[in-house]
Amino acid sequence: MNILAAVGVDNPPLDWHALAPELVLVGLLAVLLLVDAFGGERSRWAMPSLTGIGLLAALIPVATLAYDGVVRSMFDGAYVVDNYALLFKALFLIAGYVVVLLSTNYIAEGDYWEGEYYQLLVASLLGMTVMASARDLISVFLALELLSIPAYMLAAWRKRDLGSEEAGMKYYLMGVFASAILLYGMSLLYGMTGSTLLVDIAGAIEGTEVPALVALAVVLVVVGFAFKVSAVPFHTWAPDTYQGAPTPVTAFLAVGSKAAGFVALMTVVLIAFPTQPRIFEPLIWALAAVTMIVGNLIALRQTNLVRMLAYSGVAQAGYILAPLAVAGVSGASAAMAVEAVSTYLVIYAAMNLGAFAVVIAVARKTGSAEIDSYGGLFSYSPVLAVCMSVFLFSLAGIPPLAGWYGKLTIFLALIEPGTLAGYILAVIVGLASVIALFYYARVAKVMFVDPAPDGDTTPIRVPMSLAAALTITVAVTLVVGVLPQVLARVTGAETFLSIGG
Amino acid sequence: MSILAVTEVLVAQNIAFAIIAVGVVVAGVRLVTTENVVHAALWLVVVLAGIAGLYILLAAEFTAIVQVLVYIGAIVVLFLFGIMLTRARLGEGETVNKKMRAPALVIAVAMFALMAYSLWGYFGSTELEVMGRSTAELGQTTAQVADTLFLTYLIPFEVVSVLLLAALTGAIVLARRD
Repeated sequence: MNILAAVGVDNPPLDWHALAPELVLVGLLAVLLLVDAFGGERSRWAMPSLTGIGLLAALIPVATLAYDGVVRSMFDGAYVVDNYALLFKALFLIAGYVVVLLSTNYIAEGDYWEGEYYQLLVASLLGMTVMASARDLISVFLALELLSIPAYMLAAWRKRDLGSEEAGMKYYLMGVFASAILLYGMSLLYGMTGSTLLVDIAGAIEGTEVPALVALAVVLVVVGFAFKVSAVPFHTWAPDTYQGAPTPVTAFLAVGSKAAGFVALMTVVLIAFPTQPRIFEPLIWALAAVTMIVGNLIALRQTNLVRMLAYSGVAQAGYILAPLAVAGVSGASAAMAVEAVSTYLVIYAAMNLGAFAVVIAVARKTGSAEIDSYGGLFSYSPVLAVCMSVFLFSLAGIPPLAGWYGKLTIFLALIEPGTLAGYILAVIVGLASVIALFYYARVAKVMFVDPAPDGDTTPIRVPMSLAAALTITVAVTLVVGVLPQVLARVTGAETFLSIGG
Repeated sequence: MSILAVTEVLVAQNIAFAIIAVGVVVAGVRLVTTENVVHAALWLVVVLAGIAGLYILLAAEFTAIVQVLVYIGAIVVLFLFGIMLTRARLGEGETVNKKMRAPALVIAVAMFALMAYSLWGYFGSTELEVMGRSTAELGQTTAQVADTLFLTYLIPFEVVSVLLLAALTGAIVLARRD
């Protein structure tokens, strides 16, 4: 320290408490690396437990920061820890913990490079937690790469399986393509404004002389994120990647990566572009409408449950995009949109992770994710069948499950500004949900009514960790559905938008 | 008037520039005329090292170090690995494909013309203006880079290091034979 002082180096303005969740994750990554390197074969069983404990430990500073309630801003506002960031950090860490529970048996029994698997998972989660706080272009982009690059490799983790290689390759190519588009848009923004801070960009492009260039930059940035959240017409990678990747990784991509993409999109659009609603509103409106309709229509025709969940995930991305299409009307509509998107992402994470947990459990017996193979599930594993129905009907938005509350906040956000565009989009959300009910209900019908395909009705033995994952996801889906005010207390948008100007 | 005339320009710098420039040009010509692919890659090292020397002469020491680390350290090594992995034998028999000489020449001349045109206005002056400020006003560039990297962009910097670690781990798993 004395040497540094002697040559005139200032200490970086760090708030260690605000960075504690990220520091715990970095420490966890280092511990996993060392245990894997020096522990040998004997230490492999400890990997999932260590990862799980580490992720829960990272939640402690998130809780103390939330209790503290102070908005902490570092580096001239490039890195902000407020309620908005903390909500998503908690979401990513808990979702990551559930993914670890899903992975425990799958990865151990498949002999898939356990140590490295959990290291990459933690690295990706670190990218997500950084993303929740990132408020400038460089941090947003690097957080996006840190959460994506390990995910590309995890998708290809079943090395000897061609489908998994295809999954990784498609995801990688489309992801890199999206990054290039995003970077081009960001470079235009930096070139026009001379700043990478989102707040400064918002001030600089207000009433700018080159509206065409601003429009191009906004469109490129939104399209870049549209790839990440698999919005139509940029969704083509999702079904193949979801089907080919190891199923716990699919759950991670469908929930974690997608939520992080939405967080990035919401942060950039609402902080950097709030003065440009004429550009981003029609674009997001069209993306949301097309995504809901196309995603649901293609999902109707799927015979594989993972592919169906992939297309249903595409359609859900449309619902989540919808509130952002009216977010530029007024401050109140922006606040409603943030609240709706945050609420839906939390609920979506619980119900989608749960659905994948059942898929993993059933595949342990049948080795298949075809919808036909779920026949008679209720007769031999009634608990799994009921859990699956809870998740599917929640995805469809049937009360009293959590999904209906998510849909309700989206409807409220859409009709709040009172514009025609908002009303039309609300109608499309409603119609799309009705279409969706068909394919969700069809799976339920197969599980409850159809006979088991090969007459094999031995019950499925569900391992401890999967049972824990199911318990957590069912609990969230039911509690939020019955008592939505629990969630509504933490999804407010005040601090986020006040920092956004 | 000789280029090496003593006016306001430092003599020692000009002599060093002349030596390095001649070396770079000779290596550049050998690079495109040599028959052996591996030799071409090694001549490229000489060219890139010479350019790094020129950066040091211009007091851009950070750019020089990055030039050595990135171009010589990473990109040439990548070339050599690419050659070794795609060709069965490295020997005198390996010759370079010359079919693309004419378009390559056109592109090279066009690039040279473009760069010469854009730098023409500064010919003969001792300082370059960057964004309205002269290089003297901009001060010590390495110190500024360090300050920006470890103060303003500390978190992105750390994120990149974790990213590289994760990429390395995953690449080893995916690439190794088991």
